[in-house]
Amino acid sequence: MFRLKALTIATVALIAVPLSAHDMWIEPTTFSPEAGTIVGVRLRVGQDLLGDPLGYDPALINQFVFEDAAGRKPVVGRAGSDPAGLLRVAMPGLLVIGYRSNPSAVELPADKFNQYLKEEGLDAVAALRARRNETSAKGRELFSRCAKSLVFSGPTNSAQRDRTLGFTLELVAERNPYAIANSQDVPFRLTYESRPLPGALVVAMNRFNPTEKLTARTDNDGRVRFKLKQDGMWLIKAVHMVPAAGAANADWASYWASLTFELKKPL
Amino acid sequence: MAIKWSCCVAAVIVASSAVAGAHEIGTTRVSVVLEGDRRYTIEIVTDAAALVEKLEASTGRRSSSDKDAARQRAVLETLDEIFRRRLTVAFDGSTVRPAIEYFVAAQADASSSPVATVRLTGVTPPGAHAFTWTYGWTFASYALVVRHDGQENPATQWLEGSQTSAPFALVAPAPAVDRFGTARRYMILGFTHIVPYGFDHVLFVLGIFLLSGRVRSVLWQVSAFTLAHSITLGLSMYGVVTVSPALVEPMIAFSIAYVAIENMFLSELRSWRVALVFAFGLLHGLGFAGALKELGLPRSDFFTALLTFNAGVEAGQLAVITAAFVLVGWRCGGADWYRRRVVIPASLAIACTALYWTVQRLP
Repeated sequence: MFRLKALTIATVALIAVPLSAHDMWIEPTTFSPEAGTIVGVRLRVGQDLLGDPLGYDPALINQFVFEDAAGRKPVVGRAGSDPAGLLRVAMPGLLVIGYRSNPSAVELPADKFNQYLKEEGLDAVAALRARRNETSAKGRELFSRCAKSLVFSGPTNSAQRDRTLGFTLELVAERNPYAIANSQDVPFRLTYESRPLPGALVVAMNRFNPTEKLTARTDNDGRVRFKLKQDGMWLIKAVHMVPAAGAANADWASYWASLTFELKKPL
Repeated sequence: MAIKWSCCVAAVIVASSAVAGAHEIGTTRVSVVLEGDRRYTIEIVTDAAALVEKLEASTGRRSSSDKDAARQRAVLETLDEIFRRRLTVAFDGSTVRPAIEYFVAAQADASSSPVATVRLTGVTPPGAHAFTWTYGWTFASYALVVRHDGQENPATQWLEGSQTSAPFALVAPAPAVDRFGTARRYMILGFTHIVPYGFDHVLFVLGIFLLSGRVRSVLWQVSAFTLAHSITLGLSMYGVVTVSPALVEPMIAFSIAYVAIENMFLSELRSWRVALVFAFGLLHGLGFAGALKELGLPRSDFFTALLTFNAGVEAGQLAVITAAFVLVGWRCGGADWYRRRVVIPASLAIACTALYWTVQRLP
């Protein structure tokens, strides 16, 4: 699956040139740190879990935080650095890292935009464009990232759960993936503006076999379940698109949710 | 190394943010140097692990996830042909095959991935006009910086992976020609070469002036002198005539002395005096050329600079003559005392000074 989106900047003329927008996810330097250690928070953009580092970019960051049982703290970073941020694991338990970006403007030719809608399962937007006779119109879009990652420190504890960070589009693991038993499904819930989002395509891929993806549509409660049999890092992702209200340079606003974690042993 | 790398990326992010707002800028950067002898060098600096992973994935094999810099370099060298598949260096639309070297450097910071530097080198095809670039091994936006060797201001394009750059001209753009500015500058240089820096030329012009108080006398001599020095200045600057300054400079000094000495024995303009001033003018033109060569002439506006420098020299000479007329007045030119008290002593002083210079300037 090859997704193309456009996003380019020309420094001199400020001409919008097509450029790709791909999946974006958080890849910590370790998913199972010891309490008291420092974890590097790497941001990656790419496809099929082959990613390029994104440096810490204050202009792009809306929220860059982590939350443990003691509350929420900022992930600290230095402009341009990779890993983009650092955090200190203060206590054992599940720790949620979140990165919410400011919107970036993108403009795509009609055929590429339609292809992208199809590949991301954004059928409602494609249907709306068709009803408005806009299928042959170029796609002008503002896209934002809503990335999360779960790391776990200490002994397995099923009582500890993923937390809601309040991102516009957010994937929440409803079971602690570090404490699931063999053959159990892992339920994920997708929310848009804090409400369950039904009918959205959610994709899961594993680090060791990223081209073989698991896909499911959310039910009326915004929920999907995946049986994750492979160990290693997993990326769960979903894209939601709505008409861009009041934006002069875009007709659509898209939100890219992602959630990463690591399964240590085959289930 | 880690600090240097981060600083470079930070600079790119700050620069891009300033002009383009928020975009997903990766840590890859590409710099191109186009050299005057048609050689080019392209350096891709990128995260080594990310590049190795993508290359390995494209071969269908599982990533080695090796973080050792030496082994990463070895993998990159092994996968050279794979790397070349998503890379295009083109001149006038024709793809070339550069030589590629791979380097991987570990970073001091253990949490940071080693940095790969991929160096592409080659020679531009004869007669090529434009360079274009495509690099498909990054998903994030990156800056392509193209610099002509010896030029300070590089051209920058922001590109997405697989996006082909707009063409870059292989010939460095000529600096904007400001003809008026050049003319003004060289006119001033010509003038100041006489006043205040050209005391020897000032004395020669005064020697011309002192022969006779008549305007006609001055005009004839100045015209002959101007015509002559313009000829040799032009011929020398275009390389037609070349005379060593070691010969020209003492002869200029001697010409001043000769004119001043002649003033003491001659009070009327003679035709051979005009011819002599013309001959001396040829010498002085060679002297002006020597000075102008030291100042340097803009290649883009050579003729304008030459013409206006000569005009500035002329203006300087006329300023000297005007000042002399104002000081002694042309009405005094006919008076008996003028020759006794002005022409003879002044010419004597000029002659002594110039003879001293003549000896001083002899090699």
